[in-house]
Amino acid sequence: MAHDRPPPPLKPKRRWQKIDVVIIGLAFVAIAYVVYRVEHVLVYKWEWQPVLDFVAYKNPDTGEWVANLLIQGLLMTLRLAFWGTIAAAAIGLVMGLCRISQNLFLRATARIYVELIRNIPPIVFIFVFYFFISSQIMPIIGVDDFARNASPETASIIGFLFSPMDLFSNFLAGVICLAMFEGAYITEIVRAGVQSIEKGQWEGARAIGLSRLNVMRDVILPQAIRKILPPLAGQFITLVKDSAIVSLISIQELTFSATEVAATTTRVFETWIVVGAMYFVICYFFAVLFGRLEKRLSQDRR
Amino acid sequence: MNLRKIITGAAMAGIMALGLGGVAKADVAQSLSSESVIEEIKKRGVLRVGMSTFVPWAMRAKDGGLIGFEIDVAKKVAEDMEVEVEFIPTQWSGIIPALIAKKFDVIIGGMSITPARNLTVNFTIPYAHSGQQMVASMELADGMAVDDFNSSDVTIACRRGATPCNAAAKLFPKASLSRFDDDAQAFQEVVNGNAHGFITSAPKPRFWMEKHPGKLFMPTEENLTQGDEAFALRKGDPDALNFFSNWIQVHTSNGWLQERHDFWFTNQNWADQVAEN
Repeated sequence: MAHDRPPPPLKPKRRWQKIDVVIIGLAFVAIAYVVYRVEHVLVYKWEWQPVLDFVAYKNPDTGEWVANLLIQGLLMTLRLAFWGTIAAAAIGLVMGLCRISQNLFLRATARIYVELIRNIPPIVFIFVFYFFISSQIMPIIGVDDFARNASPETASIIGFLFSPMDLFSNFLAGVICLAMFEGAYITEIVRAGVQSIEKGQWEGARAIGLSRLNVMRDVILPQAIRKILPPLAGQFITLVKDSAIVSLISIQELTFSATEVAATTTRVFETWIVVGAMYFVICYFFAVLFGRLEKRLSQDRR
Repeated sequence: MNLRKIITGAAMAGIMALGLGGVAKADVAQSLSSESVIEEIKKRGVLRVGMSTFVPWAMRAKDGGLIGFEIDVAKKVAEDMEVEVEFIPTQWSGIIPALIAKKFDVIIGGMSITPARNLTVNFTIPYAHSGQQMVASMELADGMAVDDFNSSDVTIACRRGATPCNAAAKLFPKASLSRFDDDAQAFQEVVNGNAHGFITSAPKPRFWMEKHPGKLFMPTEENLTQGDEAFALRKGDPDALNFFSNWIQVHTSNGWLQERHDFWFTNQNWADQVAEN
């Protein structure tokens, strides 16, 4: 099928063009102007220390540095993103397979799920869904009682992996909300991944007598997963940022901690700049990491 | 229309619809006292309190712990009930839905009694009387009396949400309002000379004026409005309402509430505990 392939794209020119210089120059002028306005026109005294104290502070008694609210919030954000991605990947895999199933009912269910979630503002979905699951489902499965009666060892393990015991049911609700939400996008990633495998693979595998299930499990999925993993990693980064919306439902993640710090210190701009930088560092770190992994994976295959 | 209000409303409609089924089943009359949240708290050994960060009601100390007027109040309530206290910091916009969804037992969060809120939750008798104060920009509004602010040339900044902006709209109907999500942003508008005055809950305006002596002044030392802050509880729980109301009554009579209120509200001697500049 070689004749189907488009010709390889031309290599982009690496040389600086006049227009690049002009654009970069304009960008610098714009930045300089903003800095000038902030420094000389806005009456604002920048004070970073009170906010930085909430990143980490030195305990005056022991002289040790202790992670404060913002670092704890960041860790909570990462835990949310980690468990959220795992749960969302599970939902996405199941729903993605339903999406391409031959069964009309499964296909319709998955379609409704995806369209419903993609076309509702996340904030509305999370608000309604959170109050539904945490007020209706959590008591039924007894999460609160479990959390309250847990032994100290269990509590410390869960505190490390998930969240402090007293907020465990909140955390669980937040993870489920995020997973439901991101699951819709992963569903589409899975569907696209599976559908990107050439038809010939299906036909070949069916021709040697494999059942539909076997074809999917042993032939298609292993190939599809390689295509799915990179966008899935990207979805993890999206989830780190999207997890900010669960701050609405009092989960003590980075954005929620930031609102508290901003309210307490009254240093609103400093707080959000620091928090923005924290999000950036984490997300960029993962982007670079996943980029490397992807490169290595694609080398291994050859 | 306020987006948060719509969302809150939608969420509550959902919760109520879900709750209706359960109510019909329970034999309400008999089980009231055994189902009271008071019994639940005693059995659990923990009082769960919903609150939101708001200086000086509740704020973060340097080590990240919670301090403030209502933190003291909630700790004292728990002490008198002989249980532990657990704070659930919650975004203000979601605090009533969270109460109804049983995320905590009671809101001790400087919530003013309003008829609209009272349709959804029960209030105890007030445990504090705060009010709204105004600071004004010396640059724009020097020498103006309170009545002068009711003019179409005047811009007043206020924090979005029920009380401060409503007070501003009522007191100064001719002035244009700019609404902000946060006190600090609204305050910044005044300092930058984009708004003449700024209204929010006492004692913040006074603290700010003290911090920026040449820039800000208070047109009046009096509070512009008088508020009544109370604990908020889920509806249908007379035992809990009776207990918390009488707790407030007792500690109003013996002066404990006034003493704590004065400590947090009249000056900033507590400021070295907080990371505030």
